[in-house]
Amino acid sequence: MRKPIVITGCGMIAASKISKIKHLDFEGFPFPVGEVDITNEDLKKQLGIPTNTDVGRTTLLGIYALQQATNQAKISATTPGKKFLISGTTAGEMDLTEKYWQDIENHTDILLRHDCGSCTENIAQHFGFIDQCTTISTACSSGANAILEGAELLEAGEADIVFAGGAEALTKFHLSGFASLMILDREVCRPFAADRAGLNLGEGAAFLAMETEEHAKARGAKILCYFAGGGNACDAFHQTASSPNGEGAYLAMTQALADANISAIDIQYVNAHGTGTINNDESEMAALRRIFGDNLPKVESTKSITGHTTSAAGAIEAVICIKKMKENPDYKYVMDNSFGFGGNDTSIIFSSPLECGRPRPPKNMTASKDACTPTIAARCEITSEDDIAEIKNYLKPAETRRMGKILKSSLLTSLKALKMSGIDVPDAIITATSLGCWENSEKILDDLPAPKPTLFMQSTHNTISSNIAIYLKCHGYNITYTQVDTAFDRAMRKAELLIKSGKANTVLVGLHEENTPKYCELMLKNGKKIKPLQSLSIVLKKK
Amino acid sequence: MENLIAELKERIIESLNLEEVKPEDIATDDPLFGSGLGLDSIDALELIVMMEKHYGIKLADASEGKAIFQSIGTMADYIAKNRTK
Repeated sequence: MRKPIVITGCGMIAASKISKIKHLDFEGFPFPVGEVDITNEDLKKQLGIPTNTDVGRTTLLGIYALQQATNQAKISATTPGKKFLISGTTAGEMDLTEKYWQDIENHTDILLRHDCGSCTENIAQHFGFIDQCTTISTACSSGANAILEGAELLEAGEADIVFAGGAEALTKFHLSGFASLMILDREVCRPFAADRAGLNLGEGAAFLAMETEEHAKARGAKILCYFAGGGNACDAFHQTASSPNGEGAYLAMTQALADANISAIDIQYVNAHGTGTINNDESEMAALRRIFGDNLPKVESTKSITGHTTSAAGAIEAVICIKKMKENPDYKYVMDNSFGFGGNDTSIIFSSPLECGRPRPPKNMTASKDACTPTIAARCEITSEDDIAEIKNYLKPAETRRMGKILKSSLLTSLKALKMSGIDVPDAIITATSLGCWENSEKILDDLPAPKPTLFMQSTHNTISSNIAIYLKCHGYNITYTQVDTAFDRAMRKAELLIKSGKANTVLVGLHEENTPKYCELMLKNGKKIKPLQSLSIVLKKK
Repeated sequence: MENLIAELKERIIESLNLEEVKPEDIATDDPLFGSGLGLDSIDALELIVMMEKHYGIKLADASEGKAIFQSIGTMADYIAKNRTK
């Protein structure tokens, strides 16, 4: 029997309507947004943070939402048990980086907090009782993946309480980037409507307090609902477009239903990814039809109210799902879909407290302890830019013309490690990185407010993992960790869990970093000597 | 017009990073998308950015690019008629 996982607290902050930009200093941006109507100063005052300190808006929104979740769950420093924070974010404190970018030589300290993990650490530190944290960056599915990860950690006994969700503030960086992709609507977005014309970006944060049913009952906590199951798959089709038949979405929903031990007919409500772009909604509807046939449950997208809150979306929409379940007693099971750039698709399901959670099918845990320890089948590392040239032996120049150096080095080491281990396509791809495609990010910061679309679509951290998946046509589990010093350990631990639980027999794990000469020089001023390139790929397989 | 066509070929190769393609490989009336150069929708977005940067032409909708980017010839015609710089 698997341990039932429950939700005992929800916290959320998001816009309640789409309107003109008011608080972000971005004069002339022509598209409406879902902006949280409060200034950073007022947020700091409410949270007891000195107003003269530089704190990114993502961190502030995250603290606000997590505060609500801990209050509702009645969790504080005196609550026993190990507490783990998992946050999904992609922009992190990019708002601070872009504020100082033109004069970054005199503000090099800002770069020390540019990575996404730093934002999660700041949120954790504010509370003072969080024992460990990690960050997931799978672009617009980050929040949903954080919740799925939370359930997996609780099941594995790695924590007693998990706070899982996502946070993302609007930044000039991604507003300009989405504008360059020409998928923003000038009006309020109209998901699934025939005349839809694109998405509206939004911002916000949401966190769930998750624990095992046993732990919640032992401390007398009120159970809001159950985490019933989840699925993670990769569309492996394109960096920004979804496949016409919605393969990744279909696989994620199929796996979520199987994980929850239910059938499509058991679902009463779907909070769709539903961005309002021609491509997403068509692809998602194709996937929904493949799952539900002609018996679609109530399907809605709440992005016309909140905007597309990118990395926070999966978590914000999870809170909305839980609220819908409370308002509609006939809703037994609700589904939250979140899809990201690179085809990182995730679907999670919650069940009502009245349903008490149907027993989930046992995972295929191997009985012998020795047999479930994965072995390293191959390892390949490069640390020099000169070594990247070898990619010519694997790919044509036309296939690599858009790839920056980290995409080439990560793909090259992956292909070599897979070849060494005699595996064509692994069952899962897991990446650890702190800055992701930094070379592209730096060019985008230089080019604001008119970045090149090709660079933007390859600027999210998960571009690395999805680039490999697209090349290999690998639809398996695909995730990216961005917690600087611990990301690689988490990635290896995840691979082990996937193998032990029978979800994968072979896993490709990577640690990939790239840095520009400018960045290396700026970091020297911070007293840090960093390598310009590192790509390490490891293939793990079941013994 | 000849100058504009030659300039466009250079700019397309540069902005789309077509390192293996030489200007003389691109015939003025060859299709840019599908067959021909084999460009895709992301390249179309890059061409829109390039037209704005170098010729001051702003497209409101990516779908307008379809007719303009049929070939180097159709692109040059459009730019010659609509350029603001």
